[in-house]
Amino acid sequence: MFLKEENVEAHQLYSKVREVISKGFYLFSMVGGDERELGGGFAIRYFFMKQGDLKVFTLRTEDVFPSVVPICPSSKNYEREIRDMFGIFPEGHPDSRKLMLYPENWDPAIHPLRKDYKGQKPEFKKYGNYNYKKVIGDGVNEILVGPIHAGIIEPGHFRFSLAGEAILQLEIRHFWKHRGIEKLCEGKDPEEVLRIVNRISGDNAVNLSIAYLNAVEPLLGVELSERAKTIRSILGEVERLWNHVRDIGWLFMDIGFPLVAQHLFSLQERLMRFNKAIAGHRFMFDVCELGGVKTDFDKNRERELFDLLELIEREIKHTEDFAIETPSVRDRFETTGRVFKKTALELSLCGVCARASGLERDTRLELPYLAYQDVHPQVHEEGDVMARFLVRVGEIYESIRLIKLFLKNMPEHTKNTHKIQKPEPYSWNMGNAETPRGNAFFFVMFDKHGKVYRLKYVDPSFRNWPAIQYAVLGDIIADFPLVNKSMNLSYAGNDL
Amino acid sequence: MLFLLRRSFRLKTEEIKTEHQELLEELRKVIDNTLGGSLFVREVDTGSCNACEVEIANLNNPYYDVERFGIKFVASPKHADVLLITGCVTRNMLVPMMKAYHNAPKPKFVITVGDCAKDCSYFKNSYAVEGPVERHIPVDLHIPGCPPEPSQIIEGFLKLLNKRGR
Repeated sequence: MFLKEENVEAHQLYSKVREVISKGFYLFSMVGGDERELGGGFAIRYFFMKQGDLKVFTLRTEDVFPSVVPICPSSKNYEREIRDMFGIFPEGHPDSRKLMLYPENWDPAIHPLRKDYKGQKPEFKKYGNYNYKKVIGDGVNEILVGPIHAGIIEPGHFRFSLAGEAILQLEIRHFWKHRGIEKLCEGKDPEEVLRIVNRISGDNAVNLSIAYLNAVEPLLGVELSERAKTIRSILGEVERLWNHVRDIGWLFMDIGFPLVAQHLFSLQERLMRFNKAIAGHRFMFDVCELGGVKTDFDKNRERELFDLLELIEREIKHTEDFAIETPSVRDRFETTGRVFKKTALELSLCGVCARASGLERDTRLELPYLAYQDVHPQVHEEGDVMARFLVRVGEIYESIRLIKLFLKNMPEHTKNTHKIQKPEPYSWNMGNAETPRGNAFFFVMFDKHGKVYRLKYVDPSFRNWPAIQYAVLGDIIADFPLVNKSMNLSYAGNDL
Repeated sequence: MLFLLRRSFRLKTEEIKTEHQELLEELRKVIDNTLGGSLFVREVDTGSCNACEVEIANLNNPYYDVERFGIKFVASPKHADVLLITGCVTRNMLVPMMKAYHNAPKPKFVITVGDCAKDCSYFKNSYAVEGPVERHIPVDLHIPGCPPEPSQIIEGFLKLLNKRGR
């Protein structure tokens, strides 16, 4: 049941990658690992995916590896990350700048994910500069935003180069919130790691823990009961609902319709209060546990959820009609922040961004997990803010349909299991889930004591952030907040 | 549109009367008495998981709507009376946080929100974390929780203002 990996030599890599890409596969993820203690050098695993079919190439190296950016542009940030974290070099990579370890405060000779790094921090001083890209010419001006933004949002640095009103270039610098989560997880029990996983990106906590448990439970020989699967799926969909309701609210806030926005925020509040009632926490932190879930549905709760779903379906329908019937809304939403299908393909986008640009990518469809069957993907072709709005609206209806279906077919069996085996030493597995933002990917490898040896997490936002740099080109700067909110990417999950 | 209007206001008044009325009334009184009617807040995220930010943003939803009592979230630390700091202070956010702190005019108050800001919570011992906030700047009040709920954040504001009132 676990994935087969194919060992690839450095000189074969290009032809292998070219071959799978020409067959329609896209880069799903790249995972680096320090396996020198196991006699395997540094391992780089390339995951390529096509409609649920996965190919895994493993490249082993001591110091350098060939960069595949020229034939697979979406590998760019993965390779930069591997260079920062392990100190092995992608030969031929177009960008030599650091990614998450800032030269302004971190010694470039220290690579934290190496196994021989024991946590000693370098002195806090300047070791080098980060060179931003520059657009030079008559009348070009720059606007710098962040890291601390004007609103109540997370930190990130945005640099706009403008000629008149039009945006010529946007450069995003992230990883301000880099917390070193992957290193923190090493050497910990799977339960301990689960609590950290809940706090990677707070508003996607349930779906992230589902993805993590999808990786870990098979390794530990845990057989999940059908009832637990169904309850987890329902909670995952409830999370999608409150995320999408909020995200649609912010869209209206940014185009000067705060009344609609506040109305949706009050629905979000209702959903979060339901979370609190069912899981004891407004974000449902720690509701999933190894072998099951910490909550259950009875008739009253089912009723309560059912009523809430009816309310949301009705209100979202009103909002959708309102957006489509109001010219000033369409004016702002349509043709704004376009991501073309070609760009989406090249950047290997996922989630709402991919589906709004005509790509049928949804983990619930590609790699079905838990109780998911026959999910109807919401796909739009235009790639603009309107398309992303409509994808979210469609997904709200779809989530409501799924939850009702799950509630109807709720299995009656026992809920949780506590049978846990010791994992095979140095065996690994991946786990996926479709968060409200897109695919969450976990790679987990255990050591011989049953502790986590290597954990890699790829957030949907990590894949989708580069898309904004293309989406805003030619738009005016006043549209940037709208484009940004229409994707609503996470900083915390991206920065790790 | 009218339909939306009616629904929105119905939801709002209904809930607040039953739940947080006393708390919010007290907040109004304290802000009027001690600060002449307004409190400007700048939120600074130094490495949270975004849950604290979501809850702070929720303070402006129709259920709480703290702006009607004079609590306003401002765009720049230069306009702020209070810095609301979340997160475990990552190495990369340390300098921006200090800049925000030094740019806030005196007298200023610092409130830390959430467990990460107090003791780095799950993220202590990480190579990338330089927290907690207290190590770098004086903190006037801490609001515990992972993340604290909106009503708890409002209680925190009250506590700070009462302390100041005396």
